[in-house]
Amino acid sequence: MDRLAHPDAMRPARPDRTRMAPPRLPARFPFSGRYRAYLLFGASGIPYLLVGLLLLHSIWALGDGPGAWMAVMLAFQQPLYIAFHVLALAAVVYTAVHFFWLFPKAQPPRIGPVRPPPRALIQPMLYAVWLGTTALMAAILAGWILP
Amino acid sequence: MVEVRRKTFVVTRFDPDRDEVPKTQSYDVPVQPDWKVLDALNFIKDHIDPTLSHRWSCRMAVCGSCGMTVNGEPKLTCKDALSDYGDTVEVEPLANFPIIRDLVVELDGFMEKLERVKPWIVRAKQKAVQEGTYRQSPAELEEFKQFSECINCMLCYAACPVVANEPDFLGPAAIAIGHRYNLDSRDEGADQRNEIFRGEGTVFSCTYANECSEVCPKNVDPAAAVNQAKFTAVIDWAKRLVLPGPKEG
Repeated sequence: MDRLAHPDAMRPARPDRTRMAPPRLPARFPFSGRYRAYLLFGASGIPYLLVGLLLLHSIWALGDGPGAWMAVMLAFQQPLYIAFHVLALAAVVYTAVHFFWLFPKAQPPRIGPVRPPPRALIQPMLYAVWLGTTALMAAILAGWILP
Repeated sequence: MVEVRRKTFVVTRFDPDRDEVPKTQSYDVPVQPDWKVLDALNFIKDHIDPTLSHRWSCRMAVCGSCGMTVNGEPKLTCKDALSDYGDTVEVEPLANFPIIRDLVVELDGFMEKLERVKPWIVRAKQKAVQEGTYRQSPAELEEFKQFSECINCMLCYAACPVVANEPDFLGPAAIAIGHRYNLDSRDEGADQRNEIFRGEGTVFSCTYANECSEVCPKNVDPAAAVNQAKFTAVIDWAKRLVLPGPKEG
């Protein structure tokens, strides 16, 4: 049995002239074909939520003093946490690549009299800003820029 | 001598007078190498089973009538070569639409949505005929030309996961056509359309799955249009908020 879409999907407002079979969902939605990439893009929000909770936990520990903070730092060295952070990194990279692919064509040809840069330039610009920001943050965290 | 190969077509059948739910029926069809899926359906209708119902007209990917789901993918069947498929081809009606009969879906829902976006040139004041035509430069034409090539084949609606779940969503083709008029230098109705785009369940329901653009047989890229429409609808709203003039509501 096919999975059904919302019963009112694409149904006209006027009463039906004949009995109709209800609309069905796209056959490959959501796990097959290209829908998988869309689903993964949406699912990448789950690691972000967990990272956010971990961050709140870390900040809470910071408020509890150096002992609590060191305990959190030690916990983060456990293989499970490392694996989770690798997963979170993969989610970030996937989201960025997917977003940078779709973003250029979402730019209107002009906003009033102002025209955005050509689409062919927008994607390299996004990658340049992303890599530049990552390098800057890595330099700050490594202590190369700020003491 | 033309090489004839046999393929099995598994076709959705639904008779509203007899069937509770759609079922499938298989047909063994001798196909020629240059046939499209539509040729096989027409063969079934003409030589095997005259009760099969399907829509078609131009046979050259212009009228947009023959959109169906072929092996799970929304396709324009007059453009879809049978040589791309194996020995079994599944043909179903377009997803996300109520089914009237067999492969024929109800399109009035789309017509209602299309009408809402005012798919015509809106002018505050029409020029008199003696004043001549509205002129447009090639650069101005280029801004919307891609979106004007939509043939209303409904493949984008059949692929869209938001259309499947949000009945109020205007959908890819209607928004692309509305956006096409918003970008037209001769048009003065962008404010009215943007108000409709910002309304309940409209452009912002799009989650940018991009499937509409992937299945579009005319490379209209409706996903680009929908997301550009989001952008311009927000800019238009912000302008109304800060600049003097009539407010919404």
